[in-house]
Amino acid sequence: METLFYDYVVPCVCAFLACVGFTLMFNIHGMGKLIAGVGGALSWLVYLLAGSTIFAAFLAAVAIGVFAEIMSRVRLCPVTGYVLVALLPLVPGGGIYYAMRHCVAGETQRFLSTLLHTFGMAAALAVGAMLASSVFRAMFPRLRRTGKG
Amino acid sequence: MDYDKLLNMAAELGYQLMYSGAEIYRVEESARRLLYAYGLENPEVFAIPNCVIVSVDTPEGHPITRMRRVPPHGTDIELLERCNGLCRRLCAAPPPIEEAQALIAALPEDEPRYSPRGVLLGYGVAPAFFAPLFGGGLADLVSAFLCGSAVGVCLLYGGRFIGANGFFRTAVSSALASLLAMALVAVGVGESVDVVTISTLMVLVPGVALTNAMREIMAGDTFSGLSRTADAILVASAIALGAAAGQALGGFF
Repeated sequence: METLFYDYVVPCVCAFLACVGFTLMFNIHGMGKLIAGVGGALSWLVYLLAGSTIFAAFLAAVAIGVFAEIMSRVRLCPVTGYVLVALLPLVPGGGIYYAMRHCVAGETQRFLSTLLHTFGMAAALAVGAMLASSVFRAMFPRLRRTGKG
Repeated sequence: MDYDKLLNMAAELGYQLMYSGAEIYRVEESARRLLYAYGLENPEVFAIPNCVIVSVDTPEGHPITRMRRVPPHGTDIELLERCNGLCRRLCAAPPPIEEAQALIAALPEDEPRYSPRGVLLGYGVAPAFFAPLFGGGLADLVSAFLCGSAVGVCLLYGGRFIGANGFFRTAVSSALASLLAMALVAVGVGESVDVVTISTLMVLVPGVALTNAMREIMAGDTFSGLSRTADAILVASAIALGAAAGQALGGFF
């Protein structure tokens, strides 16, 4: 029970709060703040459950894509904000940093492998979210409204 | 109908959307739909990340074109949602052009914004709660909060000293973050330099540019997608360069 709490609940709460912090920078107000935060917590939960690999990042991005599409339909507003914020915890900031460290220290082998891992993470995130969005849109076409913007 | 005003209005809407950080297809689609709603036959709208071009034909067959250059901008989701909502309303029931023009011009003014202090709080809170995600403890959380706030001050108020160049600004912020992280760990506030630095760098990381890039490519705007990808890679290099410089500088003390 205790490990469950420390391994999953605490990180998800942290991801939620970090994403709410980001909503202040992106000028998101009201309900959007909550949705973006929940999206961030969801992405981190999926990432942890799937084993913290590149594939896990892909799955987390898919979860975000679907979640954001559903939310944008519920609230009738652009999907952009939710995806942007919710993906941020997974963006490989650590990868960039460690790649730089290895590069400066002259450890070419480790530098290259970290760099490739960073690119892999970034690609997994981008492809996952967009793929989920596209498939979701193809399966559930938006209801036709008058003068859709 | 006054075609000049119509053209200016569509270009302004495109500009506002672009300025709020909307995707290319949304900018093009919104401006085009707005012009269709006012009864134009085949308006042309073209956008790339820093430019919007709108072109229409008058009934005499005379083509007129307006171009708006979009300066470097951040992401403003509230403005994006407002533009989107307004465009939807205007398309559903087009009011007289002057009225629509006034509505679009008023968009940025009566939009709710967080005070600079609120935004600064965001810059502190986000890195603070990233620290536990990267394996840090309470001490790292506090240090990351301080580092993040310092980066926020640097980005929000430091424009006068470090200029508007995005690459340089990111590099300076990143150097500041790593230097401050080393200092805080040295005086015993933080525990791990790596955790504090990475948490702070998360506010600079090009997550937005990366997501946007993929979005443009998926939507078929390869040109804009590639330029945004280049942007993401440049920001990432600026972060690495800045952090390296900061650590080298910190190594002297």
